[in-house]
Amino acid sequence: MIHIGEAGHQKIISVGIDIGTTTTQLVMSRLTIKNSSPGAVIPKMDITDKEILYRSNIHITPINEHLLIDAHQVKKIIEAEYKLAGVKKEAVETGAVIITGETAKKGNAKNILEATAGFAGDFVVATAGVNLESILAGKGSGAAKYSKENHKIVANIDVGGGTSNIGVFKGGRTLDTACINIGGHLIELEKHSDKITYISDPARLVINDMGLQLGVGERVTQSQLIQISKKMAEAILETITKRKVAGLAQQLMMTPPLKEDYKIEKVMISGGVADYVYSDYRPVSVTDITKYGDMGPILGWAIQEAFKKEGIQLAKPAETIRATVIGAGIHSLEISGSTIHVNSGTLPLRNITVISPFPEGVPEKAADIAKLLKNQVDRITVQDITEQNLAIALKEPYDMSFNSVNELAHGIFEAMEEYITQKKPLIIVIEADCGKVLGQCLSIIAKASNELICIDQIQVDEGDYIDIGKPVMGGRVVPVVVKTLVFEKAK
Amino acid sequence: MKLKANIYNNVFTFKTVKEVLAKANEEKSGDILVGIAAGSSSERVAAKLVLSRMSLEDIYENPVIPYEEDEVTRLIYDTLNTSIYNKIKGKTVGELREYILDLETTGEDLLHISRGLTSEMIAAVAKIMSNMDLVYASKKIRPYAHCNTTIGVSGTLAFRNQPNHPTDDINGIIASMKEGLTFGSGDAVIGINPVEDNAENTAYMLKTVKEFMEKWEIPTQNCVLAHVSTQMKAMEKGAPVDLLFQSIAGTQKTNEAFGVDAALLDDALALAILQGTGTGPNVMYFETGQGSEVSLNAHCGVDEMTLESRTYGFGRKYRPFMVNNVSGFIGPETIYDGREVIRADLEDLFMGKFHGLPMGIAPCYTNHMKADQNDQEIGSMLCAMAGAYFFMGVPGGDDVMLNYQDTSYHDDATLREILGLRPLPEFEKWLEKMGLMENGRLTKKAGDPSIFDK
Amino acid sequence: MTVSNEMEKAIIESVLQELSKRGVNPAAAVEEKVKNVVTQEKTSSEVSDEIIDMPDITKHWIPEPANEEALEAMKKSTNARIGLYRAGTRQKTDSLIRFLADHAVARDAVFMDVSDEFLQKMNLFGVSCVAADKEEFLTKPNLGMKLSDEAVQTIKEKCESNIQVQIVIVDGLSSTAIERNIPDILPALTQGLKAAGIKVGTPFFVKNGRVRVMDQIGMLLNAEVVLELVGERPGLGTAESMSAYLIYKPSEKTVEADRTMISNIHRRGTPPAEAGAQIVDLVKQMLDKKASGIKLNKA
Repeated sequence: MIHIGEAGHQKIISVGIDIGTTTTQLVMSRLTIKNSSPGAVIPKMDITDKEILYRSNIHITPINEHLLIDAHQVKKIIEAEYKLAGVKKEAVETGAVIITGETAKKGNAKNILEATAGFAGDFVVATAGVNLESILAGKGSGAAKYSKENHKIVANIDVGGGTSNIGVFKGGRTLDTACINIGGHLIELEKHSDKITYISDPARLVINDMGLQLGVGERVTQSQLIQISKKMAEAILETITKRKVAGLAQQLMMTPPLKEDYKIEKVMISGGVADYVYSDYRPVSVTDITKYGDMGPILGWAIQEAFKKEGIQLAKPAETIRATVIGAGIHSLEISGSTIHVNSGTLPLRNITVISPFPEGVPEKAADIAKLLKNQVDRITVQDITEQNLAIALKEPYDMSFNSVNELAHGIFEAMEEYITQKKPLIIVIEADCGKVLGQCLSIIAKASNELICIDQIQVDEGDYIDIGKPVMGGRVVPVVVKTLVFEKAK
Repeated sequence: MKLKANIYNNVFTFKTVKEVLAKANEEKSGDILVGIAAGSSSERVAAKLVLSRMSLEDIYENPVIPYEEDEVTRLIYDTLNTSIYNKIKGKTVGELREYILDLETTGEDLLHISRGLTSEMIAAVAKIMSNMDLVYASKKIRPYAHCNTTIGVSGTLAFRNQPNHPTDDINGIIASMKEGLTFGSGDAVIGINPVEDNAENTAYMLKTVKEFMEKWEIPTQNCVLAHVSTQMKAMEKGAPVDLLFQSIAGTQKTNEAFGVDAALLDDALALAILQGTGTGPNVMYFETGQGSEVSLNAHCGVDEMTLESRTYGFGRKYRPFMVNNVSGFIGPETIYDGREVIRADLEDLFMGKFHGLPMGIAPCYTNHMKADQNDQEIGSMLCAMAGAYFFMGVPGGDDVMLNYQDTSYHDDATLREILGLRPLPEFEKWLEKMGLMENGRLTKKAGDPSIFDK
Repeated sequence: MTVSNEMEKAIIESVLQELSKRGVNPAAAVEEKVKNVVTQEKTSSEVSDEIIDMPDITKHWIPEPANEEALEAMKKSTNARIGLYRAGTRQKTDSLIRFLADHAVARDAVFMDVSDEFLQKMNLFGVSCVAADKEEFLTKPNLGMKLSDEAVQTIKEKCESNIQVQIVIVDGLSSTAIERNIPDILPALTQGLKAAGIKVGTPFFVKNGRVRVMDQIGMLLNAEVVLELVGERPGLGTAESMSAYLIYKPSEKTVEADRTMISNIHRRGTPPAEAGAQIVDLVKQMLDKKASGIKLNKA
């Protein structure tokens, strides 16, 4: 039930927990959600302020060996940080847990989800996708904002421990993403030593490609480290410049390459390695390079060199190492429009599959609408995701007349009748400002028995997954996280 | 050319260029009377849209009155500079407007292309210009002219001293004239409208004014606004004439009703050059006015604004020293109220200047139309801002012979004050000599006509 | 002889022939016809059948802009008349003409009436206020706040009393707003209110009415909530903006603060069908809290 407030703003605490290949960290922020049209009776909700309350220490992601993550340890880390922050679990209204990079590939992702979920109240928990990681990193580093404010196409490369996530932004929105398996931790060494302790599979590819003979336990020279890091940096560079990569770079790609139909005007580097990209650091000796036991510093230097040689001036990001976490804590939260037709008790819902059945626009007649929609639904079901909830994403009805909205409602219902018998809620996400009237029409056709979530003024695309959280602000808005699952876009 | 336009799903179709010109006109009661005005605001806008996309060539090929039928059309076309026209004929009216308003376009540029524009083209562009557009554009254009004084000098505003008397009593006339001179009025002309139109009367008034001018060494022009043929007779009798005057109009039929045609004006100009007392080379004075053709039922179905433009096209052949409209003079059947008068004044000023004429304005009104002194003052101020060369001057704003209201000597002086404008240079020197003006501002002596009798 | 003269001759001859066939006196008729023929003009240029559309101000008109994308974003962000460049210091011709077109349409919206066909199509009966015509309506607001005696009679006859919601449609300052928005908002309202089990009275139309006429109607029919849909004063080109006013149990003591208002209902503001669904919710709240306006906000 919508209540009409006067000034109508609310402050909520949101937490972002980022569990990555190398590091785990946490950021707490206070978001102000305001009714940005208080004079009108129809509220328009926006996130008007983001205040970072607490940044946790950067912890090493606890691992038993290189194949399993210690979910129990992760939980302890988070507990400790909450205590340090002086925030109780119950005080946190919303937020996101993002599991990224190599960690997401490992089998324990499910355990981590369960272990962390308890801290988030009614969070949305996003299982990592390399694509999501790229988007969040770009939002956290400030690349997305930069692209909006300066009207330029910006590529953000978040170089982490295991992967480099590339996000391309235009006008504040994600234009393209890609991920290449290069990071500072692909080769580990004894601190301040030249002895190799670990070579990851991607690193192995690089070494083989260079014709080097190196193995675990062996010693490595400065010159070799420089060469390896240069090769890695070039591969990263190629993803931006060549786009359609070949050879080593192609082997290292974890997703399809970036598309070629736009021009990148600015590049930002974020992630753990970024500090070295933007500093005066130069590799002096092996013991100096390996002070952290990895290739971070030298990779950063190599990236700086590679881009400079190419003539690309790098823009400085607002945040470097914290980029992904901040992305999860703040930017993952979109607010649905203020016209909601939600039956309570159904939320939160996680990992909802988004289908976009009307790429050319919604047809005029209900029968045609039903036909198109049913095709799409059947296709998804065939791919065996019957456990999933479905969200139907569309831009707008045929036109904004009441008749067209009603036709749309009839068309949707006709196509989804079978789906509804499975006791799943009917979820519609529409960009145009007609969520309430569409919801009204649907609820009358569907009758009381079925659950209906109809939210508007949000843009999602085919291939996205969304989490819808419990309503806040007295039921006026729901938090929605838009994300992409890993391996959906496998090479 | 395209003659159809869609305004918010209302499609309007026009048949001729003449119809488009008429319907694109701002609301004027004269057009409504003739039955050619737009039927609604939307139709008016549709006509303006169509007009803005019309090429100058389209207009050239469709004069509002055919060449064969009308002397005014013939004169306009015969005096057109075709090499300049050919360079610009591909422009649309809309593009012409933007060219006029462009910061890089100077008055010189506009005077240049004006030679290749017919009067219909000039009217067309004025029809799609807003009031401020017209003021801005008028201000740019400054054609010079010289008789005994130089009119149009930048930074000046001149006035006609109009000392009419209901019975042509010469003493009464002189008294009013003195009044005007002490307000700084008279640098354009001392021009009298006679009650009786005959050569003797005309000659007498011309002589008397000339004597006064010579005695007091006043640099200006004398003129008696009788019919041109009467003035010519007076000249033949030896009367001193600096400026020869005539009322002219935009159709052959109307001019005929005035007793005028091109041949007569050719003769008048020749006589003025040979026997006139002005230095020149500009020795003619014309008065015009929207609605004169309607009032004489000689409009040929053309809107009154286009006809006024054609009047200027007719007059420019004679390179007059001064031209002014008298657009509120006829009555509410041609121009209904203050709003219509002000618009007409701005249109006339722009169109006149764009024809290359040294243009003044008489933003006047009669007592049977819906206008008052405030409207007139608004019109005067706007026209002064727009660089009108001169206004009329009548004592107290009331012309006791013609029974209409026009700008007063007071208004004249005030307009100069408001805009920081000076009299024509030769006249200013005289005002200073007389102790009436100092640094472009009236002294304490101003306003006392008896200084001439001290 | 030139072409025009020959044409004239031909026309006159045929006219004379026709007239004599009809037995009309040719002489008098000819004079009339000749006058017309002389003033008629033949267009010598080729005339195309193409229709010129109004200039499009949703795009920017800046030649060689410093940042094309920034401009596109700016144009998307507002419907204010920006990015239309200039001619010297003045507006471009197309911009000026578009402005005039929008003004013409706004004036027409104020001065025209809602058509009878429209009322028939929407199945609404119409009544009038005391204001006799548009001129009176515009210059004497009080006359638009009161129903005519005839109107009171008609309403009493045709409408149910003691309902929960009475819907009233008023032309106000824009008949266009009513014609454009009612077809989408009315079905959304009736559908939603009916589904919520709310008793809705017979909607009708009031001509030359002001906002406050809803009070008299509410009292007349003893309605709990009166919902009035009224045309807003048109801006340029946005001649179709409509407001919804709601009041709970109006009386003589009703003040403006007692009313709840939703404005800018039109396809470029809050779309009418959506606004309808919003209002359904609002009505539910009013019936629940038994208040409207500021009192409802506080409840």
